[in-house]
Amino acid sequence: MEIVSQRPGVLQIRGLTRRFGGLTAVDRFDVDVNEGEIVSLVGPNGAGKTTVFNLISGVLRPSAGSILLNGRQLVGEPAHRITRLGVARTFQNIRVFPQLTVRENILLGTHHWTRSGMLGSVTFWPATTRAERAAQAEVDTAIDLFRERLEPRLEDPAFALSYANRRRTEIARALAARPKLLLLDEPAAGMNPYERIEMAGLIRSMRDRGVTIFLIEHHMPLVMEISDRVIVMDHGVKIAEGLPKEVHSNPRVVEAYLGRRATSA
Amino acid sequence: MSSASVPVRDTNSSPATKQFWDSGPAGWNKTLTSPRVMIPFFLVAFATPLVLQYVEDNSSWIGAQYWTLILATCAMYACLAVALNLVVGYAGLLNLGFIAFFGIGSYAYALVASDQIHQRYPLWAAVLVVVVVTLAFALLVGVPALRLRGDYLAIVTLGFGLIMRDLILDLDRPPVLAGHQFGPDTLNITGGTNGIHQVQPFNLPASLPLLGPVPHYRMYYWIFVGFLALCIYCMIRWRNSRTGRAWVAIREDELAARAMGVNTFKYRLLAFSVSAVMAGIVGMINAAQIFNAFPSPNFDVQTTVMVFIMVILGGLGSIPGAILGAIAFTVPPFILQQFVFYKYLIISVVLIAVMIFRPEGLLGTVSIRPRKTMGGTLELITAEAAVEASELPAVSDAEAADLEATAGAIVEDPEWKS
Repeated sequence: MEIVSQRPGVLQIRGLTRRFGGLTAVDRFDVDVNEGEIVSLVGPNGAGKTTVFNLISGVLRPSAGSILLNGRQLVGEPAHRITRLGVARTFQNIRVFPQLTVRENILLGTHHWTRSGMLGSVTFWPATTRAERAAQAEVDTAIDLFRERLEPRLEDPAFALSYANRRRTEIARALAARPKLLLLDEPAAGMNPYERIEMAGLIRSMRDRGVTIFLIEHHMPLVMEISDRVIVMDHGVKIAEGLPKEVHSNPRVVEAYLGRRATSA
Repeated sequence: MSSASVPVRDTNSSPATKQFWDSGPAGWNKTLTSPRVMIPFFLVAFATPLVLQYVEDNSSWIGAQYWTLILATCAMYACLAVALNLVVGYAGLLNLGFIAFFGIGSYAYALVASDQIHQRYPLWAAVLVVVVVTLAFALLVGVPALRLRGDYLAIVTLGFGLIMRDLILDLDRPPVLAGHQFGPDTLNITGGTNGIHQVQPFNLPASLPLLGPVPHYRMYYWIFVGFLALCIYCMIRWRNSRTGRAWVAIREDELAARAMGVNTFKYRLLAFSVSAVMAGIVGMINAAQIFNAFPSPNFDVQTTVMVFIMVILGGLGSIPGAILGAIAFTVPPFILQQFVFYKYLIISVVLIAVMIFRPEGLLGTVSIRPRKTMGGTLELITAEAAVEASELPAVSDAEAADLEATAGAIVEDPEWKS
């Protein structure tokens, strides 16, 4: 079931383990994500998918294992350093900054690659003004994919947005961070079928812009449609990996989702 | 005919006012902090003592000096409220020891501008001393304490404020540590309960071009208003810069801020120290204005509470709100002097009413009510623990049926088969 890829690896995870007390949420998890790929991580609720994302993005520290981004070790780095190294993420329960406008939310994405200090901003220091202009220009690029949706809302506070627009804002914010690897945690959750189709197109266009995508998604048709590879997790363990069509007929996967059929009726 | 000519109430009679009113707190703040409101406001503020003087000279009313002093107090509290707004309103850090930095600033200046330790520095050097000393104390508290959050930070800073007060009260004699006395018996640094007297005012010209001789009280009013203008200018610029956005992001959602590459510790420390230095400079101006550095109002918890009330009444994070709060708490007591016994009653009723009807404060957008997440105790839990708690996988048998139903729905999806 191993897929041999010619493309250079972006993310390489080996033996990743995370225990919460006596419970092993992620158990010796291995994964490779290659450049320009869309890789989906699926599994029943509580399988440890979001924990994997939290470990990659530095929100949680692994109990064991290594995470390499372009060959650089991420384990032990604080979350903000990991963002600087090229990993951006969205959250399962959307975490936009409610009191900030959509524009300001997206500008937060540019935080780590712009340089401007407190003195610079009160003295109209040329370098600071340039940095601010570059950041503002990036907002325009980041909303390119959602232009008709977000452009009229740019100056609205994020708490006033619809659910789908909050997700779009969160994704635009992550894109403004210019990531090499983008972690999307259930990007289509709570969306209607039409918006889901839109999201599928969106994820593809982000990939086409050179962002490698690792996503968690529950909506199987979407996963089947957009993924280059699918990884299935259950109880913290990787139980299957392969092309979408290989995975969905795998008996272990069906068992993980439906449970073992009772032998005696 | 008559029915057709009934005048329809014109809702657009004053579109600008209506538009302003409809824009809500966020819009009010935006309008009120724009240069076309702020510049005239400060011009009026600068001209006020001259107008008062003019009225006094041309009528039987006397009170120009008295009212200028009241307004100077008002401007001083406005400066403090704006500085507190930086740390509490923007960055969301509950700094209950805030007023200690005001006290530290006043004592730092008093020590280098009086005979207490026989140092009289020129103004620029004194300013430098005040900035360095308040910054040092801010880092001393901030570096360990800002790794805590919410309630813990409040407790540590409250403790710091109380310790500073005791330190100032006890340093009229040489410190004794483990039986060893540091310094001679005559060592008196802070003057204890008496404070430091005969502090020299700033060495400033006694008269200004065009304005002629400027009395002490009017000069210090202008210094306070000038410093307030500077603070407000900086606050507005910061709020619309990378730094200010990072502060508000930390206040709104620290985890998401970190995920966007914000070094949250650095930005918390920055907000904490800058606010402390602002308060320190206000303390310095106060010491020079009243020729004294006193332990009592300068380090009192009540003073912190008062500045907090100003900020909360005006609205967390709102600069016009902070000015409004400062005016509301310094001017009425002088007008309502005959109601002195009812003062606190009136203040309490007003505060309770505001908290019931506008918990965000008059011009605020952020509620001070605790967040609902995790039963309101999220602030007490570290981010990592909160994530762990919310993510413990569902493994109990009781949830198996639920799980199966979800999975079934996915597999049964008709599109799945395509």
